Amino acid sequence: MIMELFLNIIICFAITVSSFTFAFVLARNDQKYTKKSKPALWALITFWTLVGAAYLPTTIRMVAAYIDKPAIDTMMYNVSVIPFAFISVPLVFFITYVMVGKENISRSISFIFTIFGIIYLGFFYSSGAIGPIVMEWSSIFIVNSEIAIQIYLMGLFVFPTAMILGLLLLMFITRSIAISIHRTVLPLVAISFVFDFILTDFMTSIDTIQVVSRLFILVGTAQAFLAYFPQTVFIEKNSTKENDEFEYEIITDD
Amino acid sequence: MSENIDVELEQEIATFYQSLGINQGPGDIQYRLMLKVLEKNDPGITEFADIREYTDQFADRGSIGSKMKTVFQLEGLVKKVKRGGYVITDKGLMAASFLKNTTVFYKKTKKMGEIIERMP
Repeated sequence: MIMELFLNIIICFAITVSSFTFAFVLARNDQKYTKKSKPALWALITFWTLVGAAYLPTTIRMVAAYIDKPAIDTMMYNVSVIPFAFISVPLVFFITYVMVGKENISRSISFIFTIFGIIYLGFFYSSGAIGPIVMEWSSIFIVNSEIAIQIYLMGLFVFPTAMILGLLLLMFITRSIAISIHRTVLPLVAISFVFDFILTDFMTSIDTIQVVSRLFILVGTAQAFLAYFPQTVFIEKNSTKENDEFEYEIITDD
Repeated sequence: MSENIDVELEQEIATFYQSLGINQGPGDIQYRLMLKVLEKNDPGITEFADIREYTDQFADRGSIGSKMKTVFQLEGLVKKVKRGGYVITDKGLMAASFLKNTTVFYKKTKKMGEIIERMP
């Protein structure tokens, strides 16, 4: 029992550290991005910060479960729900800004999702959650409000996921221009990966599913990091260095 | 059939195709405008004055007449009906339809390019 829960703590801690680091590195390199891409960049930074903010209390709560402190576990769960409720806001801003290109429209749409988040929190805190139920792999809470779950699923989850899939589909349909896969498609897949598994993590009542979801969130974070900061091997493979070395032959009539 | 011809847009599209190394046909502003005017006036007669209304800023008199003869008339895209008067043929309408596709391709590519530009 101890080892499984300990592994869960490590995964949660890794998610926290990697998402905060990713957000920090993105923010530090913001001068490298164009003026047009900066609003989307900051939405992305906010998104990864919220992921980190959701998993920092989750890590503490897993430690609390490990050392058998249910009061801290409950308190940290109530804290982690706040970033979780607003995680779709920067995501919606990011997708709408990339698609439409108007900052005020993106702000208005993401504001609607902020209201959804507040309503979700209202229902959540008024009904509470059942738990903690400490299992072999994790400590589980079950949201006591059906309406809160429905709001999250329908309002905060379905639309952003549909938006990401729509943008990906648009990119696949429009194959007329060379799209740098690692720069455009990979971050979207990574975000979608992380976002979907965060939902599974918070909604499931099966401990193993929760751990597997967290493992995938970690993989998604690493994937996003590699998309923005590709490693040397990848750069070398895709660079035009070979072309630079090409020597041009002068063709004459002779 | 009679739709307004956006000269600036046509110029933008021609420049785009030129940047892809396509200097004739879709990448030639004179060709684009001439074909657009011929299509606009279909089934009526198009005179040089109708074309010059759009092409004056890009070409002199001679080059329009020369293009009409060496490209449009030679390839059977237009039929000469009187001195300085031409009507577009079915083949010419096919070329005009292709030109529309090049506009759609340009707009789609531009839109996607802007999306990519906004992605950090």
